[in-house]
Amino acid sequence: MKPVLRTLPRLLRWIALSAALGAPLAHADDYADITQLLRAGKPADALAKADQRLSANPRDPQLRFLRGVAQADSGKQAEAVTTFTRLTEDYPELPEPYNNLAVLYASQNQLDKARTALEMAIRTNPSYSTAHENLGDIYAKLASQAYNKALQLDGSNANSVRPKLALIRDLFSADGKAASASGARPAATAARPAAAPAPVPAPAAAPAPKVAAPTPAPTPAPAPTPAPALAPAPAPAPAPTPAASPAPAPAPAPAPSTANAPAAPAATAEKDVVRAVNAWASAWESQDMAGYLGAYDSSYAPGKQSRAAWEKERRDRIVGRAKINVSVNDLRVTVNGNKAQARFRQGYSSGSYNVNSRKTLDLVNHGGRWVIVRESTGG
Amino acid sequence: MPGAGSALRCHAAGLAFALAATSLAAHAQGEKLRHIGQAKPGKTARAATSPAALRDGLAETRLVEVYRLTGEGRTREALAKAESLARDYPNFQLAQLALGDLLAARVRPLRQMGDVPAPVAGDAAAPRPAADVLGELRAESRQRTDALRARPPAGAVPAQFLEIAPRSRHAIAVDASRSRLYLFENTGKGLELVADYYASVGKLGIEKAVEGDQRTPLGIYYITSRLDAAKLSDFYGAGALPINYPSPLDLSRGKTGSGIWLHGTPPDQFSRAPLATDGCLALANPDLDRILRTVEPRTTPVVIARQLQWVQPQSLQPERQKFESVLDAWRAAKSRGDMQRLLAFYAPGFESYGKMPLADWSRGLEAEARALRGRELQLKDKSYLRWTDTADTMVVTFGEVAAGARTGPVKRQYWMRQGNQWQIFFEGVIG
Repeated sequence: MKPVLRTLPRLLRWIALSAALGAPLAHADDYADITQLLRAGKPADALAKADQRLSANPRDPQLRFLRGVAQADSGKQAEAVTTFTRLTEDYPELPEPYNNLAVLYASQNQLDKARTALEMAIRTNPSYSTAHENLGDIYAKLASQAYNKALQLDGSNANSVRPKLALIRDLFSADGKAASASGARPAATAARPAAAPAPVPAPAAAPAPKVAAPTPAPTPAPAPTPAPALAPAPAPAPAPTPAASPAPAPAPAPAPSTANAPAAPAATAEKDVVRAVNAWASAWESQDMAGYLGAYDSSYAPGKQSRAAWEKERRDRIVGRAKINVSVNDLRVTVNGNKAQARFRQGYSSGSYNVNSRKTLDLVNHGGRWVIVRESTGG
Repeated sequence: MPGAGSALRCHAAGLAFALAATSLAAHAQGEKLRHIGQAKPGKTARAATSPAALRDGLAETRLVEVYRLTGEGRTREALAKAESLARDYPNFQLAQLALGDLLAARVRPLRQMGDVPAPVAGDAAAPRPAADVLGELRAESRQRTDALRARPPAGAVPAQFLEIAPRSRHAIAVDASRSRLYLFENTGKGLELVADYYASVGKLGIEKAVEGDQRTPLGIYYITSRLDAAKLSDFYGAGALPINYPSPLDLSRGKTGSGIWLHGTPPDQFSRAPLATDGCLALANPDLDRILRTVEPRTTPVVIARQLQWVQPQSLQPERQKFESVLDAWRAAKSRGDMQRLLAFYAPGFESYGKMPLADWSRGLEAEARALRGRELQLKDKSYLRWTDTADTMVVTFGEVAAGARTGPVKRQYWMRQGNQWQIFFEGVIG
């Protein structure tokens, strides 16, 4: 599938979602616009837009977050640090601002601060793997600094190489995994305001999209920690404190009930999906990049990155690591025609990392082969 | 001091670390020691030491704690402790190495201690090959942990300390095979080990023979003076304590060289490699500082041995008494003015200061005997330090006081055993 083709279902999906949940489009639009500008490499415009929208909604965390990203992208490091620091103060339960603070600190070679921030990110969300991976890079960098001191090398070459960490582009990145690993980023972002009130363990597919979507089952982004404060207050909300009380009636969680979705296709399809998931995990584990990347559909392109950039990042993250162990537990597969969703608990360990997280893979059957079209973590 | 050494474990268990110190052995040739003329006026080296650095031995104790925690798999605690150690002693290379390992271990498994990635270890721009430095650090780590593991038995003293006069309030012994300096206090109950420290010796090891051979001398020495850090180059850190190399025994063997000191470390290095100096003994500044503040010049013996032999003090009793009787016979002959008997105690090759031969020395002896006019001599504050290598020698120090007198000269004699007979080959007044 080509990008053009992907846009339509995505659009349809979030319109459907928004319509279904009655959320105003204005916010989603703003986020999408700003995200779009950022993606188009126009951080100044994105920043202007964010500033403008923030004058109406000064506390909106998503706007503030995007503003921070725009500041970082336009080289306003100090301002971005301030923005993310304030976010951590106002929303200490959010890991993303901590992560981005760490990224900024790391780019200034303030590795101890970066480390502290990442440790905070992990404390707020232990399965937040972007933070884990970033922290791994910080550890490696600090180790090489210590080694340089041990060997009394001036480290001019080694120390000048600053760790390049992954900046989270979106708040509610839906994805404890690297931001890059999740598909359908803008849709997830846009859908977020509506989906936010959903209570905790809800990476469950919202029923609505099924109507509209010829796409893989659109999983509304599960907030890593769905604190109510996160829900950007919809415009007409009579909320006494702007952001703190989610106006929309708490939509009953569609529970992890996807399991009882119509399992029409034969059990063989489910077995094939199970096999595909296991093959994906073992390719990852054995650092077989061809097998790993091949497990993803050619349409799979995460977030704002190009497919190539994503592949490179995955390669950097996987190849040359200490032995990686990936386990798939409590795997539940639902198949619907040529689409399937696999949900499981993913255990990942490498070196001394040991991260357990919930993962959802959306797959499609392409010519008899099940390939991943969307990956999301959390919940 | 770190306690039971048995609890120590190197933090990459099961690995055989390259050992540098067993090769402390043998050849020579090197370069001249140039301590003089490096002073920078007005410098205050001690001001550079941070408060945390002031306590001697502490850095090593903390390092070993990091090793212990690591060995027990408590890497988080170990990392926290390594970080604070590296913060307090940023120039303690072993602390940085342990910190690097513990940080790296969060990302990848460690294969060995000091698991420095190849690009760092192979840094071509480095002033010295990083792999060499790494090898030295592993050797230092091993020397430190080995020395702590093999503690001297309780109450034991090095066999060289046959008798230490109360006048010597402290004594020092160095075990080169362990890169370790032991500091004793001479209490009413005998020598008590009060501290011990990692110490570096010459680049080419021990058994100094000629000037510039970059070796540390072996033998019995005394601290001659105390050099203030402010008058020295930064290179010597907290200060210096010169020793009397070459000793009369060294001179009798034609050894050359000079300027062997106990000294500190430069600002950029908390401690130096096991084999690092031009022949001096180099200690971490807090450790040297403690020694500097503790020991007295001239009365503090320094035994430098390839390997110390630790014995219980009472086991030295027979040898001590045996030599005591020899010395007493010398005293008796001198008291009586029995020149024939007295001169029999002196070796044919005897020399005193200024290469004074026995013929001249004996005239002095006669004069002394006449001055005594039959008064009995008393030897006070006797110290016997025994040094045995290819020869069996005794360094003897005492105050020589005539009966009725309140004081007398302090004399030092070097004796050598020929068969069953002890003979003096050097004698001089030292104070």
